Amino acid sequence: MLEIKDLHAAVDGKEILKGLTLSIEPGQVHAIMGPNGSGKSTLSYVLAGRAGYEVTSGSILYNGRDLVAMPTEERAAQGVFLAMQYPVEIPGVTTLTFLKTALNAQRRARGEKELDAMSVLKLVRGKAATLKVTEEMLKRALNVGFSGGEKKRLEILQMALFEPKLAILDETDSGLDIDALKLVAEGVNAQRSPERAMLVITHYQRLLDYIVPDRIHVLARGRIVAEGGKELAHELEAKGYEHIVGKAA
Amino acid sequence: MSASATWLDERRAQARERFAAQGVPHRRIEDWKYSDLRPAVEGANDDAAAAWSIRMRPDGVEVFDLAQVDAPDWVRAHLGTLPQSVMASASLAQARSGFAVRVPRNLAAGTLDFEWKGAGSGRALIVLEEGATLTLCENTRTVGFANLGVEAIVGANAQLTHVRIASRATAAVQVEEYAVQVARDGLYRAHLFNGGAKLSRAEFQIVLAGTNARAALSGVSVLADGAHADVTTHITHAVGHTESTQLFKKVAGGASRAIYQGRITVEQGADKSDSRQTAKALLMGVRAEADLKPELEIFADDVKCAHGAAVGDLDADSLFYLRARGIPEAEARNLLVHAFLDEVVTGIADDEMRKFVRAMVEEALPGAMLP
Repeated sequence: MLEIKDLHAAVDGKEILKGLTLSIEPGQVHAIMGPNGSGKSTLSYVLAGRAGYEVTSGSILYNGRDLVAMPTEERAAQGVFLAMQYPVEIPGVTTLTFLKTALNAQRRARGEKELDAMSVLKLVRGKAATLKVTEEMLKRALNVGFSGGEKKRLEILQMALFEPKLAILDETDSGLDIDALKLVAEGVNAQRSPERAMLVITHYQRLLDYIVPDRIHVLARGRIVAEGGKELAHELEAKGYEHIVGKAA
Repeated sequence: MSASATWLDERRAQARERFAAQGVPHRRIEDWKYSDLRPAVEGANDDAAAAWSIRMRPDGVEVFDLAQVDAPDWVRAHLGTLPQSVMASASLAQARSGFAVRVPRNLAAGTLDFEWKGAGSGRALIVLEEGATLTLCENTRTVGFANLGVEAIVGANAQLTHVRIASRATAAVQVEEYAVQVARDGLYRAHLFNGGAKLSRAEFQIVLAGTNARAALSGVSVLADGAHADVTTHITHAVGHTESTQLFKKVAGGASRAIYQGRITVEQGADKSDSRQTAKALLMGVRAEADLKPELEIFADDVKCAHGAAVGDLDADSLFYLRARGIPEAEARNLLVHAFLDEVVTGIADDEMRKFVRAMVEEALPGAMLP
């Protein structure tokens, strides 16, 4: 589904990713772990298509298509979803209006029929309850006044609503207490399916106790320096990044 | 206005002197630094009389045509009595047309809707007696050069809601002065919509004269290429326990120019005054310009005054977030600009007025979003 080959990417002319290679098949959950500054967030932004994150060489194939050539919004419509580390607050746009606008934009891009407000509301309600996203939250301006946990839950609600083929979770665990983390992890696990691939980006091993990955990649200085199964997370936890990163260097 | 009344002749003669002493404002005058009126009014006919018409008049409200003789006492008592800026002095001295409105004590009148047309000078006087309420909906549709002066006397515990709609007028030079005095427990609310003109200037001089008097001003300017809109407000907290808010937002496309000058004066002894001012502009046009100038003059010790001004482009993080959720760039920009302006529009309590202003915004936005 996703095939990244020898990816080099730069931000403001500075190379951050320096030859990253990675592939994910449908149904798999991969984790990317790495210390601060290793390029984790850059990878997520490059995949989602953020302006200013420039691919200088290498390739990203998504279901056989050149992802880099696709505009940001088209990637979303074609099933790429990035749960953001810092969801933005948008005063003046209610959460429900935003969900409806986004869902219909994606449907329109895929040539599907748009949904009316009532249908969207029903759809959202059906998914909101298990993530403890309240009606009151849906009526508020997008992410405005939301706690850290509420923002992350809303990201996962969007994932449930948009039903992406490839979900990238960027530091979805950061800043959450254990109860909030469990809730988010349950929401993510409920969406694991044979058709869906997930890329879980995290600094901490803790999240991977709840979202157990099929494979773990360790990112350091813009490249994958170690790979392994879920046990790698515990090795990292026990010995620290320095041990593995140092060994690879 | 009535030619024979001595009381009026005197006030006009004084106004003429004040105007003559200063002349037509130009950009070397600090208050007019962003709006150069002198070249804009060259060749204008000084004697023209702007036309006005009241399109909707609520029951129980008295209206007097200022071109008539024998003005009632309430007109004599108030016309030309509030502090007059240089252009307000000019409109008082020059105007041959205009009207006065009185809302009697404790009358909750509905909406009075009126419009200005044509070119030239005009005057209006709005008097709300104690406990009266009125929604004043003003439509500015003048052409050429027009200079209009409005005085409003808001009595004790009275509430005046003033909605001013000035849609895009490509060739017009529209200057309008509002002098407002609010008595104790009174409230003056203003909601402005500006589409801009060749030169457009709306200046407000508001005096909060009694305890617990309040003024709440808000406005949006939605400017397409070539439009100019200058909103200048001066609020004086003359006594303590008075409150004012100003919230102004601008979207400037093409080579338009959005201006907000907001001065707040808190006079000596006006303790416990509270004033909040926010002005923000989004520059959509590569040659668009916004000038936001807050000014505080505080002569009292125990006051709360907060102000903020910001000029910029749409927030890049927000734009990315929306696009990453599948919303195409043009739609995402549109959503963000609407959200930016909506903070102001949702503040209009009257349903009908809010819908009206929202419709004006909708109509003007496509032009203002062009680079």
